[in-house]
Amino acid sequence: MILDLERFRVQAGPRWRDLESLLAVLESRPGRRVNPPEAEQLQELYAQAAADLNRVTHGALAPELRQYLERLVARAYAELYYAPPMRSEVWQPRRWLRIFTAFPETFRRNARYFALAVLITLLGCAFGGLAVRYDPASVDVLLPADYLRNPGQRVHEEEQGQGRHLDSAQTEAAFSAQLIRHNIQVALLAAALGVTFGIGTALLLFENGVLLGAVAVHYTHQGFGLFLTAWLLPHGAFEIPSILIAGQAGFYLARLLLRRQEDRNSRQSMREWLVLVAGLAMMLVWAGLMEAFFSQHHAPVLPYGFKVAVAAAELVLLMIYLLMTGRREIGRESHSFVPAENR
Amino acid sequence: MSDAESSRASTAGELTIATPEGVLFRLPLAGPASRLYAMLLDIVIVLGAVNGIGLLVYWIFAKAPGFGVMATTLAEFAIGFAYGALLEGFWNGQTIGKRLFHLRVIDQAGLPLRIEQAWVRNLMRVFDALPFAYLVAGISVLSSPVTQRFGDRVAGTLVVRQTPLVLPREEFWTRQKYNSFMEYPTIAMRLRRAATPELAGLIQDALRRRNELAPYARREIYRELAKYLQSEISPFPDELVERLSDEQYLINASGILFGDQRPSRGKG
Repeated sequence: MILDLERFRVQAGPRWRDLESLLAVLESRPGRRVNPPEAEQLQELYAQAAADLNRVTHGALAPELRQYLERLVARAYAELYYAPPMRSEVWQPRRWLRIFTAFPETFRRNARYFALAVLITLLGCAFGGLAVRYDPASVDVLLPADYLRNPGQRVHEEEQGQGRHLDSAQTEAAFSAQLIRHNIQVALLAAALGVTFGIGTALLLFENGVLLGAVAVHYTHQGFGLFLTAWLLPHGAFEIPSILIAGQAGFYLARLLLRRQEDRNSRQSMREWLVLVAGLAMMLVWAGLMEAFFSQHHAPVLPYGFKVAVAAAELVLLMIYLLMTGRREIGRESHSFVPAENR
Repeated sequence: MSDAESSRASTAGELTIATPEGVLFRLPLAGPASRLYAMLLDIVIVLGAVNGIGLLVYWIFAKAPGFGVMATTLAEFAIGFAYGALLEGFWNGQTIGKRLFHLRVIDQAGLPLRIEQAWVRNLMRVFDALPFAYLVAGISVLSSPVTQRFGDRVAGTLVVRQTPLVLPREEFWTRQKYNSFMEYPTIAMRLRRAATPELAGLIQDALRRRNELAPYARREIYRELAKYLQSEISPFPDELVERLSDEQYLINASGILFGDQRPSRGKG
């Protein structure tokens, strides 16, 4: 039945205007909080506007009116079903500091993806190492940078201070920022490449592993194993795990995308992915500072044994942090008798 | 998925949301061109902000330029991601560029954007920007039925056109009320008697599905129907018909067939 639009407007117009006014108030309110009487009024006006929209859709040839009611209903629907974050949640510093415990917890919860990232990187290392060991000509292909191809010359320059481009804390600071930016970009790309169902992430990790394996075998084979360890490990102790965690985030994302849409708890899943990315970014800030301010100094200024000891201490601390932080809290939570839905 | 168990379907340029109560409403999707313009404007704003901060930092660190470079490099990098994430997350799904081009990012269930969605879609830019000039994003937007770039697919977001909420003007209601065919009660009666229920249903369906039809198809269907009614069923005077579009002709005819059937004291 075609509607009598004039009568329809007279009857419904006031409630549309009421809903418009209520929405204007709610949308302009910081935090979009709704008190109980407003929620009740919103629910009632939304239901009426939705019914009006249905009538116009099925009973009137009035595209302008239909469009108006669709927009009104869309806005009311958004206000009704949206659960805004608590204002206190957003602005409480303690909540932001929780990232330091949330990161290792998330890391452990998704350890299988980390294991996969380690496996692929190790495969890359083995490939790069074996290629350099048994086919020396492959060095030119696998290690494009000149300084990586000639370990003897590189070590000599570094130890004599000839190759040092960092002559002051000023340049070291600028260099560290470039390293931090570049490393975070690469790690973020590895995490984002999960969108290719993990294929891009796997390729990036494998390539990284090939380079690492080739450099390690090339330097060690020529008797510069200690130099290499002391050169790479002080920053590598954080840099290499953070790239592996980026791979973990990438595989986590791939697994998420492979799930059926309705099986995803996307809010929780997105938080997990974001926490991993935030955590690895923090690690890469430290790695960048270490690479610029510490790794580039060699014997006799900094003895190799000391550098390796510092790197080992970093690794131990990182492992304790990633494996132990937050464990006690989780244990306490699991022993509580609060029903899951009330927690 | 959002908390509200809604479902969605898309047609060209529009997304239809079905709410848990069974109400359907459409949201106009943003086109690739307007998104590109908004993004370019945002890039200009970010570059301006970064340069401004750079000048300030170099002035503060005049005696330690290395630390100035460090601060600027890191600030530039952080602003690149945080600009979009924070503005979209806390400013109704809009950056400055999006606001000026009347665009808004929303959850794909039709709800406001959440802060974690804003961060995910902005961090995913590292992939969308590949291999240069957001080529991957462009391909994704053009191939997606709801014009999502990869960041949107992962975050479960959409960019829609933000149009003002305006009740139809007075002319709309007057136009809907006035039907010039009522001026010719004899011809109107002939139309009511001669039109079969199938023909009446066909006219009503064609008008109801107006927005689902492609413009060309709509024009042709309306022209054919109006021509058939005018030549075979009820020839209204030429001086009246010439002033009406085919669509208005069918709306008037539909009004005669289904609507207010009171004859006016008119001609015919």
